[in-house]
Amino acid sequence: MRKFSKEDEEAEINLTPMLDIVFIMLIFFIVTATFIRESGLDINQPDDNQNPPPPEDDKKNILIQIDSNNRVFINLRRVDIRQVRANIERLHAENPDGVVVIQPDGDSETGLIVSIYDAALQADPNISIAIAEPN
Amino acid sequence: MREHSKREEDLEINMTPMLDIVFIMLIFFIVTAVFVKEAGVDINKPEAVKTEEQKRVSILIAITANNEIWLNRKEVDIKSVRSIVEKLHSENPRGTVSVQADVTAKAGITLEVMKAVRAAGVPQVSISADKGKK
Repeated sequence: MRKFSKEDEEAEINLTPMLDIVFIMLIFFIVTATFIRESGLDINQPDDNQNPPPPEDDKKNILIQIDSNNRVFINLRRVDIRQVRANIERLHAENPDGVVVIQPDGDSETGLIVSIYDAALQADPNISIAIAEPN
Repeated sequence: MREHSKREEDLEINMTPMLDIVFIMLIFFIVTAVFVKEAGVDINKPEAVKTEEQKRVSILIAITANNEIWLNRKEVDIKSVRSIVEKLHSENPRGTVSVQADVTAKAGITLEVMKAVRAAGVPQVSISADKGKK
């Protein structure tokens, strides 16, 4: 009886310490795995060196300016933020080649840029949008 | 004797299948561990309809309403954004950068940060926005 028990113990490797370590590693990696769900707008800035600048024809492009008091101007005409999308849709239908150029003031709010960018994407998902350097 | 042996056999569970599963889970979590560099502050993000899920974000840069820039749980100066992003990006070159700007943050600072990130060699930069309704 005694002999059998001893033999049995020797033949089998004790897995408990390894299991402890493996479980602790597993818990560590589960806990540190931050599956953050981040959503956002891809801003693809045209590369200055590779792409030619958008055509200088002012009539074709849709120039959207934001001043320091967060007022929005489309082609130098003041519009409400809620009408930006309709305006872009109309101007884009007139000139499908036109590029939307957003020119914010350095002191304007970031939320407005995002709203306008979003509005332009809603008007046409394939529209080209450029964000100009703040003047 | 016979009875004892039978009882012992019953008591011992075969661990091999469980070990297999545990190892596969372990390997999965090691491989998928991305270690996202979080900004460390809560931001009131703008809402947008046409947002896209950012799947490979590894660095988050936050710009608060007071125009402070937070990166890797520290407040940083605009001038040091580029070098910090360069360093963090080299740890995980496939990751992208997301700029979490507060709705009322100054546009000039947001664009400056995005310019610095691009200068650091990250081609894919996004402005983070919450999925809004139409």
